[in-house]
Amino acid sequence: MIRSDELDRSFVQEVMAEPGGEHLITCWSCGTCAATCLVRRFDPSFNPRLILHKAGLGLREEVLSSEEIWQCSACDLCYPRCPKQIHISEVMKAIRNIAIREGYEPPGPFPEVDEQICSGCAVCTRACPYEAIERVTKVVDGEERTVAQVTKTLCMKCGICVAACPSGAMNLESISDRELISRMGAGGWLEKPGYLQGGAEEPRILAFVCQWSIHSDREWEKIRGLESDQLRIVNLSCSGRVDPAMILMALTKGADGVLVVGCKEGECHYQRGTYLGRSKVALLEQMLEQLGIAKSRVRFAESGSLDRFLFPRLVREMVEEIKASVPVVA
Amino acid sequence: MGKLNLAVYWASSCGGCDIAIVELGEHLLELAQVADIVFWPAATDFKYDDVEAMEDGAIDVTLFNGSIRTEEDEHIARLLRRKSKVLVAFGSCSMEGCIPSLSNIKGIDYALNRAMFENPSTVNPEKVLPQRRFGMPEGELILPGLCNQVRTLAQVVPVDYKVPGCPPHYEQVWKVMTAIIENKLPSRGGLLGVDSRTVCDQCPRKREGKIRVERFFRPHEIVPDPDRCLLEQGILCAGPATHAGCGALCIEANMPCRGCYGPPDGVVDQGAALLGAIVASFEGKSDAEIRQVLSTIVDPLGTFYRFSFADSFLQQLKANPEEAGRICASQADGSEEEVEQ
Repeated sequence: MIRSDELDRSFVQEVMAEPGGEHLITCWSCGTCAATCLVRRFDPSFNPRLILHKAGLGLREEVLSSEEIWQCSACDLCYPRCPKQIHISEVMKAIRNIAIREGYEPPGPFPEVDEQICSGCAVCTRACPYEAIERVTKVVDGEERTVAQVTKTLCMKCGICVAACPSGAMNLESISDRELISRMGAGGWLEKPGYLQGGAEEPRILAFVCQWSIHSDREWEKIRGLESDQLRIVNLSCSGRVDPAMILMALTKGADGVLVVGCKEGECHYQRGTYLGRSKVALLEQMLEQLGIAKSRVRFAESGSLDRFLFPRLVREMVEEIKASVPVVA
Repeated sequence: MGKLNLAVYWASSCGGCDIAIVELGEHLLELAQVADIVFWPAATDFKYDDVEAMEDGAIDVTLFNGSIRTEEDEHIARLLRRKSKVLVAFGSCSMEGCIPSLSNIKGIDYALNRAMFENPSTVNPEKVLPQRRFGMPEGELILPGLCNQVRTLAQVVPVDYKVPGCPPHYEQVWKVMTAIIENKLPSRGGLLGVDSRTVCDQCPRKREGKIRVERFFRPHEIVPDPDRCLLEQGILCAGPATHAGCGALCIEANMPCRGCYGPPDGVVDQGAALLGAIVASFEGKSDAEIRQVLSTIVDPLGTFYRFSFADSFLQQLKANPEEAGRICASQADGSEEEVEQ
């Protein structure tokens, strides 16, 4: 039960005075945002409508202390769909800014920088879609150096920095290199010979799939069910997390093709992750072509918010293309 | 303690690594007090026979530069491995293939054809192709055959240490020499003659940190600001994915790092790491924009793998390592057994 004497009516004004928060009270709680939101797939407790509604009611402490306000990644899928044209991620940002001032922090874990390895090369600060990494000059092991530092209140844990770091200094527990490599090779999948090596009936495909590019739980379940000796699926936090070294390593082992599935142009959950993913694959394709290796062995495919059950077709296409374009070593 | 026995050898190399040792200058005199140079084709007059006459393990340390491209390279690599207590892959060619291994992209037969017949500066109207054996009135001449693939030293024989660089910087060479003289070599298998972290750690340029570029320039297309990060000016710089050790030499000459010091510690494939770093450095908000930016990267393969192709995943994808040591098709005459000793 909400007691009216516990409400802080001034909170509405406080949010609206914050840049981005101006449109808080235009929300009429229709729930279109919640219906669109991808975060709900992984955390059903997240509901942008509810957060805006609570803020509108003046439940100041409840809103500021909740973990949910940190989950919006500003993918803005809800923005064009909102009938009141509220830029919800901006309202969310306004609420966060107040929370930061009040001393609240988003829940971890966050990417960690190994300061002994970090060169301060600025690759991660450029890669980050949220400008959540700064370079700071500090004393490390008695030596003044410039190293990367993650700003927790801005980080969305997409893992793009982990993939970008050229010296392995950036690490995020749940999607570390080690974690991904162990998922790729679990059960000895990578060690089995591929079709092109003359060891399998059909081309074996390794698929890196962005967790946001598949839009319903049922679809995920079905896709998971497709995993077999011929198909290994490794889900990524974002297609921008894909590591070119892992793709190449897989191809030198038992994978005949590597498929990377990411969000459609403009629909990336992390703003620019899909562009990073497709750029990496595009460059790999170019290099394979230069080498005279069929470029059909790597592919970036997009799965849009309106696409359903596209994945099986993508795999099938890749299998056919590999069979058509590459001579088999007997 | 008696004097150390040192050897230096060049396989398929440009000679730059030997120059890097000569560049030690007066240090060479210090070296001569504690060590005898028992074999160094670029500087001394010892012959292969002299090495063959040594007992196994008679050489304390051999610095082996150059990649393995010919039968002769491979033969001497095996010989020196046998005669040396410590074998060091010295310089980028020997460590990771370097520039010579770029010819593996098209294959050695293509390279031979290109060099002998197609090269605009080669005049060869009689279409002469070097053969491994050639009869002359004075007797038969024998040339070492070219192998299918340019290989690193470690792809042919076990290697104890690696010293990166094209060529290694002489100050690093002296550090390696000092470690050898003072018997302070670390446990086997590591890199010698490097500094911690990557070239960016030694680069004095200012990095703004948030600038992404919309196109890349080749070095001759732009005069870069000498104080700002080259990547942020759109020049492909391999610094972020290259081991520190050179002291950012090229960068101080306003040229981008090419990556000759090899991958940073723990990184398996330098080109893949560089590719990831480069992709993070440009802005493309649509497929069309990405294509536009990528079209300004001329020769991605040669750019990302300029020094490390022989030691890369792509090399493994391209060719079967079991075929690597065979004589290339253009020179195969069925006499492999005879020439190999």
